[in-house]
Amino acid sequence: MMRGAAAALVVLRKELADALRDRRTLATVLVSSVLMGPLVLLAISGLVATLESRAEQREVYVAGLAHAPTLRNYLERQTYTVKEAPADFEARLRSSKFSDPVVVVPDDFETALVRGDVPVVEIVSDSANQRSEASTGRIERLLGGFSRERALLSLALRGVSVQLLEPMQIEDRDLASTQTRATRITGMLPYFVMMAVLYGALNAALDTTAGERERGSLEPLLMNPAERWALVAGKWGAVACVSMLIAVLSSFSFLPGQWVLRSDTLAAMFQYGLREALLFLVVLLPLAAALAAVLMAVAIRSKTFKEAQASATIVVLAVSLLPLVNLFELGGEAPWHLWVPALAQNTLMTRILKGEDLGLAQVIVPLSVCVLLTAVGVWYVARQLRQAALK
Amino acid sequence: MIEVHGVAKSFAAPAPARRGFADAWRGLARQRKDERQKVHAVRDVSFTAHGGQITGLLGPNGAGKTTTLRMLAALITPDAGTMSVDGIDVAKRPREVLARMGVLSDARGLYPRLTARENIVYYGALQGMERDAADARAQDLARMFDMTALLDRRSAGFSQGERMKTALVRALVHDPANIVLDEPTNGLDVLATRALRESLRWLRTPAGGSKCIVFSTHIMQEVERLCDSVVVVAHGRTVAAGTVAELLERTGESDFEEAFVKLAFVPERAGEGGAA
Repeated sequence: MMRGAAAALVVLRKELADALRDRRTLATVLVSSVLMGPLVLLAISGLVATLESRAEQREVYVAGLAHAPTLRNYLERQTYTVKEAPADFEARLRSSKFSDPVVVVPDDFETALVRGDVPVVEIVSDSANQRSEASTGRIERLLGGFSRERALLSLALRGVSVQLLEPMQIEDRDLASTQTRATRITGMLPYFVMMAVLYGALNAALDTTAGERERGSLEPLLMNPAERWALVAGKWGAVACVSMLIAVLSSFSFLPGQWVLRSDTLAAMFQYGLREALLFLVVLLPLAAALAAVLMAVAIRSKTFKEAQASATIVVLAVSLLPLVNLFELGGEAPWHLWVPALAQNTLMTRILKGEDLGLAQVIVPLSVCVLLTAVGVWYVARQLRQAALK
Repeated sequence: MIEVHGVAKSFAAPAPARRGFADAWRGLARQRKDERQKVHAVRDVSFTAHGGQITGLLGPNGAGKTTTLRMLAALITPDAGTMSVDGIDVAKRPREVLARMGVLSDARGLYPRLTARENIVYYGALQGMERDAADARAQDLARMFDMTALLDRRSAGFSQGERMKTALVRALVHDPANIVLDEPTNGLDVLATRALRESLRWLRTPAGGSKCIVFSTHIMQEVERLCDSVVVVAHGRTVAAGTVAELLERTGESDFEEAFVKLAFVPERAGEGGAA
């Protein structure tokens, strides 16, 4: 046993040195994982900032403004700047060159309004043009206000009490905390972190298994008196170390990433401090270890690195698709989510971002799943090793 | 000393090329049904190699040399027969056997991102040596094989000969009493082959440690020039054993190549020659 552990350490040391010398691959993975945090945050904050500035601008585009002085008067009283829409607004909305919905007023708006003919006002947006779609609700509420005002005015003229028309008052009360609201925007961060961990493990895992077969170095390796489990344990340890390193780097990359937040609201909502980073690691490190073992188990069956890359696609696909269950919120959060690797980690990291505490049970379940996966993966590789060396 | 008695090994015939899942499934079903045709790689190979001697395992391509040596290195479990190294049973205590044996196998891949020295020291460490001791030994062996200049270069750009030398030194790093080489001269040029031959001769002498050296080859000139005893393997069986002179005498030939062809390529003789 002692000798086995010593041999495992020898293998671990060599594999780590080997992996760290693969500079180009390592650099690609490192740069993408370390820069990823700030980049994703930058993109999100850019988006939020434009939405905010649009809301602050209080502008509304109207086509056929000249036919609707009453509407114009109302809009201006709501402190909106009313602008005439460009003539080709439909084409520009379609091609996403124009990012505001347009209110289209019919020619006979004013006369129909006076006669009580219920003129039709269109709000034109393109649901494929997300930025215009985002402001539609705001314009709808604005025009609704106009309708209500007209109705109230004409009823008041006829001596009807306003309370009769609005027998109840509606007020919004949002239960979500600032952080909970922020996860609607930062919800994809855990996903990116997990992909970084996966790709961190991928190359090293393939290199120590299929790569070793392809080079023809596995057969001589097995002609050493080291136990097979020790060889595999060492290899797994090295792969897990690389992937954990990526996990650490990408988790901490969000700390400086906060400085680049352009939107003040988002900066206030996105609470990611040392505590969150450490909790991320509690969730991610077991996953990194399990992914290392699973990828090795998949790759040991392949004779070449290339073949192994093809087989590993299944693992990559699973890790990228499972969290989508969360993203689409199919049936909300269910207890079984914690039993599914990748999905569980995504769920937990989302909770951390929401500022919720992790219970012991929530950590234990995914942890034991990861430990089990690791054990099975390492056992399988050890079992296949001799056969793999021969072919 | 290496003793091999009547080992045999058969494999399932390689499956025909499969495309797609349906085909693979059918192949699997067929495999279960008729247990697949067997290919007898080794039927009955026996030989004894002594310390201070070079024993050549001579045979045509596909005679079962590599499979035999792989069984000796505990990489394949034989179907029948026994093998021992310095009296230690390979089947029962494979790790002790591997510690007393340096094997240069058919596959001799190096780690391209490591230097020759790191490649060698890695195997020394796996054999349980201290890193310093392994490093010193690498230095000594490198001097012997004239590759000191290579030691601190990464093995990525090595030529065939340089790679072979590194792999050989790697196999010898723990100073094993028994050395097994599978077609070591494959891909080597004349000078490298000659250097290897010199090194093996030296390892055989008391000064070199009186090693027990077994090497397989299909080149009879190698055998003629180097071997103290020859084991001729054909169709998975030992068909003859003895010194070069004895084999010449037995076949009544003066040319060793003729003698080899007579011994190895006559299928009917295969059954009789088993006693080594």
